[in-house]
Amino acid sequence: MSNTTGGFWADPDENTVVVATGELAVAVHPQVLVTPALGSCVGVTLWDAFTRRGGMAHIMLPSPSDTRLGGLADRFATVAVPRLAEAVTGGLPRRRLVAKLAGGSTMFGGEANITGIGMRNVDAVKQQLSLLRIPVVAEDIGGNYARTMELYLDTGLVVVRSYRYGIKEL
Amino acid sequence: MDPRDLTDMQLDALGEVGSIGAGHAATALSQLLGTPVDIDVPDVRLLPVTEVPAVLGGPENLVGAVYSRLLGDLGGGLLFVLDREGLLQLSDLLRSREPGTSKSLGSAEEATVTHAAAMLISAYLAAVARLTELSALPGPEQFAFDMLGAILEGVSMQIGLKVDNAILILTRFSTAGASVDAALFFLPDPDSLDVMLGRLGII
Repeated sequence: MSNTTGGFWADPDENTVVVATGELAVAVHPQVLVTPALGSCVGVTLWDAFTRRGGMAHIMLPSPSDTRLGGLADRFATVAVPRLAEAVTGGLPRRRLVAKLAGGSTMFGGEANITGIGMRNVDAVKQQLSLLRIPVVAEDIGGNYARTMELYLDTGLVVVRSYRYGIKEL
Repeated sequence: MDPRDLTDMQLDALGEVGSIGAGHAATALSQLLGTPVDIDVPDVRLLPVTEVPAVLGGPENLVGAVYSRLLGDLGGGLLFVLDREGLLQLSDLLRSREPGTSKSLGSAEEATVTHAAAMLISAYLAAVARLTELSALPGPEQFAFDMLGAILEGVSMQIGLKVDNAILILTRFSTAGASVDAALFFLPDPDSLDVMLGRLGII
């Protein structure tokens, strides 16, 4: 199996920081943050134009009350979003931060529509951003297909790759 | 449980269930098509679900997948996966066409492969049910063609993030002219896996 949508996963270099499912990471230009294969999960990026620092989280669930199982705390929107903001600014005022979102889709119709986990994730992330007064300046969410998200820290450009629509810039 | 804790005998028992299921599916497919189709199971493994993307070429790899939720006494899901090439080849094989005839992925290919996967899943569950004396029924089959990582994530969300191990049943469909490999993943939740191994008399 060698057919892929290309991108950093296929050909990573030393500046690529890969954010795995349920994790978050912070990086500074010339590094590039990337998280592969978002389905119902939501990728959220925060970016500071002045320091050219940014962060990315790959969020799986709205809050810890959505599961009784142990695991990574950063997979929850209510935990990861505030922690990401803190990590990007280092505790300094966060008024320069802007957020972009991708993901929140429904990979299989039918049953998944009942739980609606994709859009619940999107709503939970937006609620957390709103509490932190961080504006969402762009988003590519919903639908029924997978996305890979990349954040370029010099310009704050987010590139979303999908099999269905190719490359989209946010 | 840790997959490395499985003994050879336990693996054999899982392999046996896989082979019986494949045999029944092959009989059913052959009857439907009016031409002999063999289904072999060259390998059965239990592995942590987190290792599944690596086995299949990484989370961004594009795959065709048929998902069915597991209903009855056991909880979890089943996922039939093959790459784009395999999807087209399997579709040709099941429609008695020359290998390489199908060039693009359309609703006919999707329907054919979903149908074959549904039979394999039902036959596998029937074998599980018979050997464990448990009820194991497939939910409605759903098809997706997309990045493997997102598909697995979708499955794991639907079955409540509970799965930590997957039984990988490598499956080879063959007719006189061609053969195609696919992977069937049985993803029971941890309690169901324990119950199943217990009922097979191998814990």
